[in-house]
Amino acid sequence: MNPSVQTATLLPAVAQGDVSAFEGLYDRYSSTVYALLLRILANADDAQEVLQETFVKAWTSAKMFDAVRGSEAAWLISIARSRGIDRLRSRRLRSDRENDAGREISIHSSFVDKTTGADKAIQSEEQRAVRGALTDLPDAQRVALELAYFEGLSQSEIAQRLNEPLGTIKTRMQLGMKKLRDRLREYR
Amino acid sequence: MMTHEEFESIAALDAIGAATADEGSALTAHLRECLPCRRARAEFAEAATLLARDLEPVVPPRDVRERISSAIAETDEEEARETRISPWWLATAATIFLALWGWREISVRVIREQTHSQEAEIKRLSEENALLNEQNEKLSVLAKPDTRTIALTGQEVAPAASAKVFLEPERRRAFVFFYNLPSNPGDKSYQLWIIRGDQPKPMSAGVFDVTEAGSASITIENLPVATEIKGLAVTLEPRGGVEQPTNTQFIVAGNV
Repeated sequence: MNPSVQTATLLPAVAQGDVSAFEGLYDRYSSTVYALLLRILANADDAQEVLQETFVKAWTSAKMFDAVRGSEAAWLISIARSRGIDRLRSRRLRSDRENDAGREISIHSSFVDKTTGADKAIQSEEQRAVRGALTDLPDAQRVALELAYFEGLSQSEIAQRLNEPLGTIKTRMQLGMKKLRDRLREYR
Repeated sequence: MMTHEEFESIAALDAIGAATADEGSALTAHLRECLPCRRARAEFAEAATLLARDLEPVVPPRDVRERISSAIAETDEEEARETRISPWWLATAATIFLALWGWREISVRVIREQTHSQEAEIKRLSEENALLNEQNEKLSVLAKPDTRTIALTGQEVAPAASAKVFLEPERRRAFVFFYNLPSNPGDKSYQLWIIRGDQPKPMSAGVFDVTEAGSASITIENLPVATEIKGLAVTLEPRGGVEQPTNTQFIVAGNV
């Protein structure tokens, strides 16, 4: 299955001001984007604000989307991740709260599970196809990638957090990304 | 000069926001001219989204959808207000615009030429400055009284090879200089390993290529404390490095 082409791309219609296409876009991706923002921000109010910003940005900038450069999902997720990390960094700057500095990756999973409750989304075929992509990665590679992607940490910050040499962290992240890319190719 | 494989490795880090500022700038400049690397960068960006798409989806509260609908309606109204401009204003603006255009074109051309030459000069100077700073830092470490010097000697596969390690225990950092190493094939990288007394498996300290003369240098940050380091060794590994050594043919090695 190819998740990137199995569904019609909605963004060109959104760029023309088609509100029903925009609603379709929201129905298709809001659960994934919201889960991502909860994971990054660990706060439902912040996650909802950034979710709103993300979709408003998609509405106003849909004409900038270029299908040659990537999928609709990647475009939207990239906007959400970038805004989520910006919010996380400004929150860290405002108040260096203890729970921000000391939180561990495992906390996020339990947070997400706890807050989903009965509202868990029905997974689409696309989501089912890509779910589990990370299970193939060795833990050390997965943790390094997650610290960069979900917490916006630099290579040196990750090395310090994990008390490992910088070169080791870099190698782990590169190998992990190459495995994810190979996994993506399997879908195509 | 970096190879395409090295740019591809940077693209992998860049896709998750983990490339350093220098790596990011070098990659951006390279991508302008290299289609295969642009494709690789796009592919890694797509792969990075697997991290998000692997999460359990969570349905947002209903009122978020309503808030978004209101927000885009407001955006549309603002846009409509901005585009409702009277015809006389458009005619005046067009006249002024045309009058200024010719003057602007000439000015822009002159400024662009000046800017290009200044940018090239600034880039050259900042590269030289960065190199000098790096060399100064290395020199200052070599001169410190508590810096330890460790010699790595060429092993059976490369008896003429050698390396010197300048270990700065206080900052848990080391500069390593390699000499007379055989050229590494395009699909291979040299990888430096730290052999620790407190752990059974060696730890990667970085990958590197050698120049035509067989030399190279790397900096190791966040070293284990010196008492935990038993030795250092270099192996030839698949390009980009591996988690653990795939062979025991050490190129250079030495005890600490």
